[in-house]
Formats: sequence, structure tokens, C-alpha cells
Amino acid sequence: MTDYIARHSLGENSFIPRKFQGFPEIKEALIGNRMQAGFMVAPMAMALRAQGVPIKIVYLGHRYGSAVVVQKDGPVRAVRDLAGRTVAIPSRFSDEYLIVRRALQREGAPAAAVRFLEMAPPDVAGALSAGAIDAFSMGEPFPSQSEMMGFGRILFPARRYWPDYMSCVLVVRQDAIDNRPAAVQTLVDGIARSGLWLDAGRPHREHAADFVGRYYFHQPPALLRWALTKDLERVIYTRLSPRKADFDLVRDLMLEAGTLDRPIEFAEYVDVRFAEGTVGKTAWQYEAGVN
Amino acid sequence: MATGKRIFAAVAGWAALVTGAHLALNVDWSVALNDRQPLDKRKFYVAYIPVT
Repeated sequence: MTDYIARHSLGENSFIPRKFQGFPEIKEALIGNRMQAGFMVAPMAMALRAQGVPIKIVYLGHRYGSAVVVQKDGPVRAVRDLAGRTVAIPSRFSDEYLIVRRALQREGAPAAAVRFLEMAPPDVAGALSAGAIDAFSMGEPFPSQSEMMGFGRILFPARRYWPDYMSCVLVVRQDAIDNRPAAVQTLVDGIARSGLWLDAGRPHREHAADFVGRYYFHQPPALLRWALTKDLERVIYTRLSPRKADFDLVRDLMLEAGTLDRPIEFAEYVDVRFAEGTVGKTAWQYEAGVN
Repeated sequence: MATGKRIFAAVAGWAALVTGAHLALNVDWSVALNDRQPLDKRKFYVAYIPVT
């Protein structure tokens, strides 16, 4: 979105967006320096840093935006009913995995009772529709897709069990941070301004659904309109500065789940300078069809 | 013009047309040009997947 608005309001952009189909491919591209930055799930970024990969989290992509979805008329009516079922997740190194474990724990059901299946995000709605899985835990717009097509029902949004839930974070290679801090700041500023613009109200969400669906996600704008406007709190794009308490929670849940083998300190994997640099930034001055 | 020359011109024209279409449709010029910039001038590549 930042790319589109910057192109249309400034006439240029400072980065080139590249679409991937899964987080593991993004991980490889960052390690190989084919990408200098990328959006990935927070636990994966933390695990990579713990393994010595030279990257840092500099900002969040959004808050909320993930949900656990079950078959609309299926047997799963409550979190405890997930026991013995197959639940698709994007990766074991994802907040979507951790939120299912957390919900099960809160409801007194053991996480070991659920079969977790890693699946590329675009495949989960089809798998649920075909009955290949009983549920999935995934970011938007896939929960919306299942609702819109009539075969899925949201069992719970992530924020029910994790009030300040976050998922995707912006990760930047350390050499880019060291050698091009101004370019990193421009990128983070652009995302912050996009978030303010998106959260300014429904018309901006509807414009965004249109151009993001057509030119970036290659998904029907109607689907993104559903994801972004039913309701506006389904996913939010402000309050994106990385906070220690949020990441400490992710770290502790990962240690519990066995996806992190040592406690890692916040300053080791987060660089807050760029988020601090966004203070005072204002929303893009952009109206679709005008600029 | 001799038949041989006509055929050659037609084939060369067709090849030029297909090459031009390929360069216009299949080559990502933003990437090709960016990769030729000095390191400190290059735009970052930013990876994303079509999820919120």
C-alpha cells in the first residue's frame, strides 16, 4: 500500500515490493540478501535472530487480523472441540500457532490434543472447504474468504485471547540498517503514514481494498473490502511501534512451545530507533482518483 | 525484391516484434535498472505475502 500511495502522491518510491507465497521463502530471500527487508511472522524473525541471522525487527505490519476458522456447520463449536482435530497454521514459527496453543491452554485443553499442519496461507480456505482440515489459524483475508464463500465461521479472533495481538513484523537486514539508515527510516515512515491513512476511516479502507487487491495481492477487491471493513477493528494499522511487553509474551510462548531454544533479549532482535523516528508523522494526503 | 529477401525481411520483422513484446511484457525493468545502480543508491527489495 505504501508503494502505491508513494508512487501516486510523490511520483516515486524508495523501495521495490516483491510478492512471495510463503514465509519460508521470505526467510531464504533475506538470508541470501535477495531481499533487504520483508514482512514475516514475529516468531520466525525472533527464531532467525536467535540462530544468528543478521536481521532486526524495526516495525509491526499491523495488529489483530488473525482468526481461527472452522467449518460453518461442522462439529467444532467451542475451543475445547478442537481436541483431536487437524488445524492448519502458516508455520510453527508463527503467532497463529501460538494463539491456538494459548486458547487451548486458557480453556483447559492440552495443545498436544490438536494435530497442527503447516500450510501456505493461500491454500487454507480451499482445504477447509474440501474437509481436508477441521480448522485453520491464519491472517486476513483468508478468514474473510471462508466467511464470504459461506463455508467458514470464525471460532474466535486472535485478540479474544491475546488483547494486543500482533503477527507480521517488518524485518530489515543488519547491513542495510548499518549502511542505509535513512532509507530504512523512509520505509518505516511510509508504513506508519499508510497505517494512519488506513485507520482514518472506512472510505480509505475501501480505496485500499481496491488497489491492493488489483495490483499487489491479486485478490478480488470485494474480499479485501470484507476483510478491511467488517468490522474496522478486525485488523488495525496503528500502534505499530514494537513494544517489549508484546515481544516478551511471544518469546515466552515460543519457549513453552519449544520453537525457541533460549531466552532472547528484546534489544537483541528489535531496533526501536526507526519506530521512534515516526513520532509526529501524519497520514498520507492521498485520495483515490485525485492524486 | 527477390523472394528470398522478402522472406528474410518478414522473419527478421517477426523476430524483432516478438523480442520487443517479450522485453515489454516479461522483463521487470524496475529490477533490471535497480540492480545496475551503485549499492548505496539501490532501492531496497521488500518481501511481502498476500496476508494482512
